[in-house]
Amino acid sequence: MNSKMSQEPVEIIMIEDDEGHARLIEKNIRRAGVNNRITPFTNGTDAIAFLFGPDGSAVANKNKPLLILLDLNLPDMTGVDILGRVKSNEHLKRIPVVVLTTTDDATEIQRCYDLGCNVYITKPVDYENFANAIRQLGLFFSVIQVPTAN
Amino acid sequence: MPTSFSSDRTMTQTLLLLAGFALLIGISVGTLLLVDRAAEDSRSVAHTLRVQAMMSNVLLNMRRAESGQRGYLFTNATRYLDDYNAAGPAAEEQLRLLREQTSDNPRRKSELDSVERTMNRKFAEMDRSIELGKAGRSDDARDFVLGDRGRELMSDLRQQIEKAIEDEGRLLAARSEASQHTNRLLLFLSIAGAALIIAVGGIAVMLMRRNIADREAARQELAVTNANLERIVEFRTADLVEANEEIQRFAYIVSHDLRSPLVNIMGFTSELEALRKDIFEEIGKLRAHLDELNAHAAAQATPVDTLGRDFDEAVSFIKTSIAKMDRLINAVLKLSREGRRQFNPETIDMNEMLGSIGETVAHRAAEQEATVTIDDLPAVESDRLAIEQIFSNLIDNALKYGRPGEPVKIEVTGHANAAYVAFDVTDNGRGIDPRDHQRVFELFRRSGVQDRPGEGIGLAHVRALVRRMGGTLKLKSELGKGSTFTVTLPRRWSDQTRSVA
Repeated sequence: MNSKMSQEPVEIIMIEDDEGHARLIEKNIRRAGVNNRITPFTNGTDAIAFLFGPDGSAVANKNKPLLILLDLNLPDMTGVDILGRVKSNEHLKRIPVVVLTTTDDATEIQRCYDLGCNVYITKPVDYENFANAIRQLGLFFSVIQVPTAN
Repeated sequence: MPTSFSSDRTMTQTLLLLAGFALLIGISVGTLLLVDRAAEDSRSVAHTLRVQAMMSNVLLNMRRAESGQRGYLFTNATRYLDDYNAAGPAAEEQLRLLREQTSDNPRRKSELDSVERTMNRKFAEMDRSIELGKAGRSDDARDFVLGDRGRELMSDLRQQIEKAIEDEGRLLAARSEASQHTNRLLLFLSIAGAALIIAVGGIAVMLMRRNIADREAARQELAVTNANLERIVEFRTADLVEANEEIQRFAYIVSHDLRSPLVNIMGFTSELEALRKDIFEEIGKLRAHLDELNAHAAAQATPVDTLGRDFDEAVSFIKTSIAKMDRLINAVLKLSREGRRQFNPETIDMNEMLGSIGETVAHRAAEQEATVTIDDLPAVESDRLAIEQIFSNLIDNALKYGRPGEPVKIEVTGHANAAYVAFDVTDNGRGIDPRDHQRVFELFRRSGVQDRPGEGIGLAHVRALVRRMGGTLKLKSELGKGSTFTVTLPRRWSDQTRSVA
């Protein structure tokens, strides 16, 4: 998708440790007709390194149109930590974050929204629902305006 | 403190007390006897003294008589004769008294006999001289006296009496000695008795003090034990709560992590299903192509639609199993989540709650021609959601497991006492085999004919909830007759009443 407001297409950062889930998510995003670049990370450390850069200030990603798909259950840290850090960073806080996880615990969902998560999707075992949700998300990607710094 | 020890001590104390009493009685009796003896002794001493005095009196009167006789003979004055005449009977009277006093002493009697004989001879001698004097024969009388017979008689008498007095004196000494002995004995007995009583009292006091000290020590020990016990209970409770929480966390993590691969299995199975069309189309084409090349091989090959059915069957089994596994995992998740949920106690109108549960199932009940009767129920202060889940599950089960051809009748009754409220949910359904009364409360376990959908979660969930509410869940059921589930809950739920389930 090409946002009218940004010069370059939105890049999807997928932080998901389960490669199977990553593949299924990608398949369904593609099926929804979204062809943006998807950069996968299988652990929190790498994702943090990419998002915040070597100096940890995230200045490098200042004006980049990004969208984060975040799994809460990561091997090295919880997605909630990443969410908190992204949402409290001056340069990253406007990036839309879609939390995608198997947890449908009400307090966990609440906590994510409190931290500034934009969308929360539980991964149902029922594949039809799952595929549907992702496709909906694809449609959602195509209509949202990813903000840029200027 | 061993009880035999203290009972031994009690025994000793009782014995001591008895010994003390016996001693006191012994001393009293002894003292009384001794006092009696002392009185007896002093009486006999007095008696001896009296006897001695009497003997002296006898001698004195004899001397008076003699001096009267002498005076008369010397002066011829009749007043001396009066003295003489008075002294004689006085001496005899004294002798008579003396005899009375010493009647118990045979030796004294013989002594007194000889004294009397001497006295009589003396009187005879004196009478004779006085007769001579009266007759005016003064010289004869003087010669008679000078004959020294009277003096000898008097000397005999004096010797006899003095000997008797001496004899009485010895008796007196012996009696005084006895009296002193008795007094010493009395003193000794009194001192010994006092000492013994003091000793017994001292031992008793010592034992009592030791008893009191022991009791105090035991009391303190008990207090310490009690305090320890409370601490131990606290620790154990804390341990159990912690262990319980850990199990809940464990269940949560495990079930959560189990879902992850399940998402993949289901996802890729569905992907395979999607691929099926393409694959079988390809196979169909290849078959057709092969047919052209070799008719024989095609005849032997399994038809494509049979392969397709097998494929579909396999995929369908996989998907059914995944769905089932997902339900089970969800059940574990739900239970662990319920176990972690904080309860908010509030006063619940049970009539209202059961009424609304009845409304929720009204449609289903009407379809089955089932009736739900709700008695007047006591209110309870507890967690609304938990109570609602408990009764929804029980009523749902009752509706679910009716007997074929028999309209389900459900009755909810309740009663309260001071601390607890009990509710009975009774149905006329198919009932539960007694062998399964325990099993039906276990997770994923069911009983009887498996003709109804379900995972075997409901009753496990109900029991977990009831336990967390600090209550109990009991089942009374007969196969083919119906079941009664009794939910007993504390009237007021608080964190303290929570049982570690």
